[in-house]
Amino acid sequence: MSKMGFFGLGEEGYDRVYSDRELFTRVIKLFKPHRRSMIIVITFICLSSVTYGLTPFLMSLIIKQLELESNPFLLLIFLINIFILNSLGYVFNYVNRRQGNRMVYRVCYNLRRQTNLRVLEQDLSFFDKYPTGRIVSRINSDGQKFGGSVTMFTELISSFFVLIIVIIPMLIINPLLTGIFMLMVPLVFTFTLAFRKVARRKSLLGQRSLAQVNAFVQESMAGIQIIKSFRKENAQFENFQAINKQSFRVNMSRALFLSILFPSLDILIAILYALLVFFGGNFIIQGVLSGSDIYLFLQSSLVLFQPLLQIAGFWPQFQEGLSAAERIFALQDSESYIKQGNFVLNEIKGKIEFDNLGFEYVADKPIFKNFNLVIQPGEKVAIVGHTGAGKSSLTKILLRLYEFQDGDVRIDDHSIRDISLREFRQSIGFIPQTPFLWADTITNNITYGSPNAKKEDVIWALKQSGGIEWVKNLDDGIDTFILERGKVLSMGQRQLVVFARVLMQNPSILILDEATAMVDPFTEVQIQEAMEKVMEGRTTIVIAHRLTTVRNVDRIIVLDHGRIVEEGNHENLLQKNGYYARLYNTYFRHHSYEFLQEIQSKRTQ
Amino acid sequence: MKSQKTKNQNSILKNKSEFHLDKDDFFNSRHKGVRIWILKHMVNKSNKYLIILFFTFIVLTSYFGSILYVIIGKAIDIFATPGNSHLVVNYTLLVLFIGLGSPISGLLGRTFREIIAQRIERDVRKEFYLNLLGKSQSFHDSQRIGDLMARATNDVRFLNFLISPALGMILDASINLIVPVYLIGFNYPIELVFIPVIFSIIFILYLRKFLKKLTPPTIKRRLAFGSMNTVLNESLSGIEVVKSMAQEEQSVEKYKDSAVNYRDAGIEQGDIQAKYLPILFLSITITLSLTISIFYNRSGVMSIGDVLGFIGLLLRLRFPVNASIRSFLMVQEAIVGAGRLLELMNKKSEIYDIDGAISKKIKGNIKFENLSFSYPGTQNKVLKNINFEVSAGQTVAIVGTTGSGKTTLTKLISRLYDVNNGRILIDGTDVKNFSLKSLRDQIAYIEQDIFIFSNSIFDNIAFGRDSSEKQVISVAQEAQAHEFIQNLPDQYNTEVGERGVQLSGGERQRIAIARAFLTDPKILILDDSSSSIDSETEERIQEAIFKILSGRTTFIITHRLSQIRWADLIIVLSQGEIVNQGSHEYLLKNSREYQKIFIKRFDKTLTELLGGD
Repeated sequence: MSKMGFFGLGEEGYDRVYSDRELFTRVIKLFKPHRRSMIIVITFICLSSVTYGLTPFLMSLIIKQLELESNPFLLLIFLINIFILNSLGYVFNYVNRRQGNRMVYRVCYNLRRQTNLRVLEQDLSFFDKYPTGRIVSRINSDGQKFGGSVTMFTELISSFFVLIIVIIPMLIINPLLTGIFMLMVPLVFTFTLAFRKVARRKSLLGQRSLAQVNAFVQESMAGIQIIKSFRKENAQFENFQAINKQSFRVNMSRALFLSILFPSLDILIAILYALLVFFGGNFIIQGVLSGSDIYLFLQSSLVLFQPLLQIAGFWPQFQEGLSAAERIFALQDSESYIKQGNFVLNEIKGKIEFDNLGFEYVADKPIFKNFNLVIQPGEKVAIVGHTGAGKSSLTKILLRLYEFQDGDVRIDDHSIRDISLREFRQSIGFIPQTPFLWADTITNNITYGSPNAKKEDVIWALKQSGGIEWVKNLDDGIDTFILERGKVLSMGQRQLVVFARVLMQNPSILILDEATAMVDPFTEVQIQEAMEKVMEGRTTIVIAHRLTTVRNVDRIIVLDHGRIVEEGNHENLLQKNGYYARLYNTYFRHHSYEFLQEIQSKRTQ
Repeated sequence: MKSQKTKNQNSILKNKSEFHLDKDDFFNSRHKGVRIWILKHMVNKSNKYLIILFFTFIVLTSYFGSILYVIIGKAIDIFATPGNSHLVVNYTLLVLFIGLGSPISGLLGRTFREIIAQRIERDVRKEFYLNLLGKSQSFHDSQRIGDLMARATNDVRFLNFLISPALGMILDASINLIVPVYLIGFNYPIELVFIPVIFSIIFILYLRKFLKKLTPPTIKRRLAFGSMNTVLNESLSGIEVVKSMAQEEQSVEKYKDSAVNYRDAGIEQGDIQAKYLPILFLSITITLSLTISIFYNRSGVMSIGDVLGFIGLLLRLRFPVNASIRSFLMVQEAIVGAGRLLELMNKKSEIYDIDGAISKKIKGNIKFENLSFSYPGTQNKVLKNINFEVSAGQTVAIVGTTGSGKTTLTKLISRLYDVNNGRILIDGTDVKNFSLKSLRDQIAYIEQDIFIFSNSIFDNIAFGRDSSEKQVISVAQEAQAHEFIQNLPDQYNTEVGERGVQLSGGERQRIAIARAFLTDPKILILDDSSSSIDSETEERIQEAIFKILSGRTTFIITHRLSQIRWADLIIVLSQGEIVNQGSHEYLLKNSREYQKIFIKRFDKTLTELLGGD
């Protein structure tokens, strides 16, 4: 299968090559629920091509009657026939277009839904590898392309029908003229195919340059404030001009090239007409043909051109549709590593046990090997360590966002693999390092995950997580719409909303990846207090970045390259003067008052 | 001064904004009507002649294409008359000549059409982008970037499609309605003209009604596609949250809603399109014409060749019938798209150079007088009664809790927003009287969430300036950034940002400090809320910040005691008001708000802190 037609989309790791047979079977399966529609569409498309293809022949018959000066009654019958035929043609066409369009939209819709479902089932390693934008365009745009190719397929059937119906009378009347006409066919094919090849390359370039414009606009709008502050509009505008002009040049060349196609084909028609007049003229003079026959040939060649073009252009275009289908199927068929269990664990107490855990993101680069750790119900544990020690991996394994390879993880003595995901995840509260909020109201962000919550609950959750005062200062209070990722709010405020969201969920286990970004001391105290509230009575794992946090937990686990090197509480570990003490000096000390005093005194020296 | 005056006269028509081109008035004007705006782009001075050429060749194309049938009809009559065999070659050549005339002029017409179309796309996009650059910060705060992108690419592209192929096809179609009528009138019994004329009238009336019905679902479909993309995009970017809260179903439902909308709009559109009646009208017209021409033939008015030519001409009407829906839909879409562009472009920018704005060197004395501020379109006063004064070269620390108005206060100095009441004076001049260029060139801003452009490190520091390598390296050294840059794969040429190497918060901050060193501003604003992750970096950053403060008036938003101690003045903000100002020692003793901020932070008691000096 050709790999062309990706239109700026590179290949993805989950891409695979399907044999044509597999592909067709899949496509046919998609259309199976619409069998009736399919039969109707194909029947009516054939009927309507018959009426369309017969018209020139009937007209020429009428003109022949004129030439023969036969009786008016016969003429009238012919006229009535033409009228009926045309009206029927309209009806057939109506039925097939309407039904075809409905079918295509329904099939595309189902395809999208299926794919969306499958994608959401993937574990997180999938989303790490493949950028969101490309997945979106596969589901939405490739779905559309596939739909287009289905329409194209039905048009192909009708084209063949028209071709046959039109050519038969021509052959009967004059094989020689028909032969001249047929000479054009290979010409049209060769020309169209060669043309499409170049056109495709040019279109690809055109789309890329437009994508470049798009990316540029995105970046300059994201950085607009700094552009303004430094008064760099001019430099930015000049860069834009360069990109915009390039897109202009590339697309101009594409458009000019594309505009050659139809005039060139018209040149072929002109030559064909001249030949028809020359040979036809001689035949008329010899008395072999009449004017009506010439008429038939002229009109037939016009009627035939469209289907000929369609047949010539069919395969490369259809292939595009097929590879769109292939891309969607590949997305659907990629396997999630996480398999659900069906044991429903109600009332989690919160004992967590990592038993000889082995885990790697990439083969042969283990993050954990024979890792063992037991956390008791209600215990508060902080995990510290350098970047890459495996802190986040541990929490993500626990959330079942990634699948581990060896050993076992047990919750209340049940293997995590046997537990049904839905209930399990609902009873784990997760606070990521950078708060992610939806473009929605504050209320809806807080009730995300607990859709039945009432307004009072939202207010309660906000009060618990550091107060509601700041929300009151917003224009619409808790109903304020906070735009993409909550950009209306400050970082500190976003964190408070996430705390409220987790409180609402009332989880048994809490996983907290502490933010590294600094907020003002007062808000930080608020966040600390909120954290303490959320942790109350729950098993908690904190990836700690703050001094206050490590001071307040029951136990600190010091991780290094997937191993526990030290554990204990803050004071004990400091006294040990080992790994933790060094870590403390690197990561935590600068939060302390003494550190700032030190810098100050260095400065004044 | 002279040019100043003429500029002022034009300013009534001009779009007042933060940024515009000096020369090109066309791109700086305001436009009201969508149609007039598009027309102006079409007939602007560089396109004027192209339009005429385009028009001419389209008429020629259609004329050649139509007259061919008349000639072939005549030829058939002549051949059928005995003794004309010598004319076959003549007619063959005539048919060839006219037959070739049509595609050749067609090719020329299309070429001019493409040039116009691509130019319009380029020009409109330029105008739109320029306009976005000129809009004030409050405008940008309220926009979704994805939406701006869609407008700058898709909506602008629809204006290209408006010319090519839509307008080309419409012109072609309408000429194909007229030329056959004209040729029929000349070559065949004049009353036959009524047939295509009546058809055309019915066709045009029907088309109007038809489009009115078809446009809403077409637009609905397009919007639904957009929302399908937005919904899916958002739920996939938040996939971690979706999964960790087991809310996949909610995502599926949301996507389903928009996919259903899209499907239904597509079906509605297709149902209407399938009904398109003119195809039937044309068949009826042709059958009718055939009947009439048979009658004329019988009565000897028309020869067989005439009948053939006449029917051939009528069959040319197929083209407008088939091409009209698509092209008129494109017109509708282009108008909607242009409306979306103008809607944004016509939003007034609140900030622009006043007439006679001044440029001068800033010393750095700054005075805030009775200042109050609320963000445009909101009621809530973010700042109230702000009064304080800073002398040139001093450092002011601004402290306060989240949402107390610290960042907002600093943004008012460089006029990212304008104050509602009161004023800000720099060296005794209201900031509103400065030209934006002069003002912002002398103020540097190191923001909280530092934005790095996807470009090289060098370009991110030089930031549009013609700076030598030596200069850039020297400021990077000053900013304590040189060392980590040396460790990057391509040193100063390393691509960073979205598609390159990701920099940490501390690294970004030092790049921004280097950038500010290079501009050598008189006034520096430093929003130092991001924290570095380790102690060593922290020390380096403090070093860099200390260096850049000296010799400039500096506003620093911070909660680091070390920095606060450097300040000549500390302003304590609470809910938009200055509650206290003074030195660290003074505030620790006398400001409750200040105590509230700093005491809990270090687990120290008040007395300890007081004695900690």
